Amino acid sequence: MKKSIILFIALLGLASVAYANESQIWGEMRIQNILGYGQEESLKLGVLFTMLQSKYFAWVFLGVLLGVPLVFFLHYKIVGPKVFPHSHKKHYAFNLFHRTVHQIAAVSFLVLLPTGFIIVFGDFFGGGTLVRMAKNLHGLFTIPFAIVVIPMALMWLKEALFNLEDVKWFMILGGYLSKEKQIINATQFNAGQKMWYWVAILGGITMILSGAFMFFLDFKMEMLHNITGLSQIDLLRVAAILHNVMGFAVVALFITHVYMSMFAIKGAVYSIITGYVEEEEVKILHNAWYKKLKEKGKF
Amino acid sequence: MSNEMSRMKFFCDDHRCIECFACSVACAEAHELPTGISRRKVITLFDGIEGKEVSTSIACMHCTDAPCEQVCPVDCFYIREDGIVLHDKEKCIGCGYCLYACPFGAPQFPRDGAFGAKGAMDKCTMCAGGPLETNSEKERHLYGQNRIAEGKVPMCAAVCSTNALLVGDAESVSTIYRKRVAGRGKGA
Ligand code: HEM
Ligand code: SF4
Ligand code: SF4
Repeated sequence: MKKSIILFIALLGLASVAYANESQIWGEMRIQNILGYGQEESLKLGVLFTMLQSKYFAWVFLGVLLGVPLVFFLHYKIVGPKVFPHSHKKHYAFNLFHRTVHQIAAVSFLVLLPTGFIIVFGDFFGGGTLVRMAKNLHGLFTIPFAIVVIPMALMWLKEALFNLEDVKWFMILGGYLSKEKQIINATQFNAGQKMWYWVAILGGITMILSGAFMFFLDFKMEMLHNITGLSQIDLLRVAAILHNVMGFAVVALFITHVYMSMFAIKGAVYSIITGYVEEEEVKILHNAWYKKLKEKGKF
Repeated sequence: MSNEMSRMKFFCDDHRCIECFACSVACAEAHELPTGISRRKVITLFDGIEGKEVSTSIACMHCTDAPCEQVCPVDCFYIREDGIVLHDKEKCIGCGYCLYACPFGAPQFPRDGAFGAKGAMDKCTMCAGGPLETNSEKERHLYGQNRIAEGKVPMCAAVCSTNALLVGDAESVSTIYRKRVAGRGKGA
C-alpha cells in the first residue's frame, strides 16, 4: 500500500515535470526568465511594463477619452459644423458589400472600445463580474472585426494611398478650422480619412494580434522566438505594451471619425448607411473625386 | 509597511534540495489545485552535469513592493502586515497583467472562464488563504488551506525532508541560513 502511494506521488511529480517542459512560460524557460529579469543585458521588458502599466497607461487613456472630445466640443462651439444641402443629386458610392463590411467593423469597435475602457479602469468599476464580462465581450467582438479587417483593407486600399495633395490638406487641416466652405482638392478619401484608414487597419491588426497573444498566453511559435529573439513571456510583455500604446491612437482617431461623420459634417454618416453621398458635399470637400465623377457622367 | 526583516519570506537552500518534488506535490494535494496549476515547482539547472547540477523550488516570492500588485487593473491584491502577498479571486478578471510584471513567473491561469478564456489568477498564498472568512468552506475552495491561521507552517516547507525549503520572517530565515553556511564552510 505504502509503496503504491509513493509510486503514485512519484508519477504525479513526473507528470508535473512533463507538463512543465511543454509550457513556454512555466517550463524550462522559467529559470532563464527569472535570471534575466531586469538584468543589464536584458531588455528589461518586465520592469518596463510594470512601470508603464502602474504609472501611465490608465492616465493616458483618461486623457485621450476626455481630451479629444473636449477639443471637438470647442471646435463645434467655435467653428461649428459644415452643413450641406441634402436635396441635390446624389452618387451611389458605397455598395452593399462596402456598407456591410463597414457596419460589422463599426459594431465591433462600439463594443471593443467601451469594454477596453472598462478593463483599463477596472478598479473604478470594482472588478469582478462586470469587468470580467467586459473582458469576455472584448475578446468575443475581436472575432467579427478580425473577419472584416482584410476585406476592408482591400476594398479601400486604392483610395487610401497618400499623395501630394494630402500634404496641402494637412497644412490647412482640411479647412476644418474655418467656417467658410473652402474647396478642397481631395479624392474620395481626404488625408484625414486616409490616416484613419491606416490606423484602423494596421493598428487594428496590431490590436488583434497583440490581443490574441494575451488571450492564448501559453502557446509555442518557434518562428516568432527566432525572429525576435524574445522568450514567450517577453513577447507577452511586448504585446501588452503595444496593445495599450496602439490603443491610444485607435481611440483618439475613432473619436475623431465619429465626430467628423456625425457632427462636424452634418449628416455625413448617412452615406455609409444608404450608400449615397451628396453632390454638394463631394464638390467642396472632395473636389478631385467630384471632377472625376463628373467626367464619368455621375450625378 | 512593516519592517523589512519581519516580512515573511521563502528561501530554498539549493545545497540541500534533492529534487524530490515533495513540496510541489504536497502543495497541489493540500490545496486541491486544478490540473495544470502548480503553485510551487522544482527546477533543476545543468541537469546531469556533475558538480554543477543544482535544484531549487520556486513559487511566488511574496515580493516587497510586489510588481503584480502595482499593475493589476482591478486592484485586487493586498499585502498583509507580515508581507504575504494575496489577491481577491472574486475581483480578479484573469487579464494576465500580473504574470507579465512578475519576475518569477508565479501567476497562473486555469482555463475555466467563458469561451476558454483565462480564469481568475492562481498563485501561492503561503498557505494563508484569501480575503474571505478564515477557514470557511469558500475560502478553502477558492484559495486552498489557511494553515497560517491555524499556526502551521506552509505545506511545502512542512514536508521538505532535507529542510531545504525555509519559510519565516526574513530575519529568522537568514539567521538559519547563515548558520548553515558557517557550518558548511562554503557557499553563500
Ligand atoms: C481594434 C480594436 C481592439 C481589438 C481587436 C482588441 C482585442 C483584444 C483581445 C483579443 C484581447 C485579449 C482578451 C483576453 O485576454 O481575454 C484584448 C485585451 C485587452 N484590450 Fe483590447 N482590443 C482592441 C482595442 C482595445 C482598446 C481601444 C482598449 C483600451 C481602451 C483595449 C484594452 C484592452 C486591455 C486593457 C486588454 C488586456 C486585458 C485582457 O486581456 O482582458 N483594447 N484586446
Ligand atoms: S506574484 Fe510574482 S510579483 Fe507578485 S509577489 Fe509573487 S513573486 Fe512577487
Ligand atoms: S490576472 Fe487578476 S490579479 Fe492578475 S492583474 Fe489581472 S485582474 Fe489582477
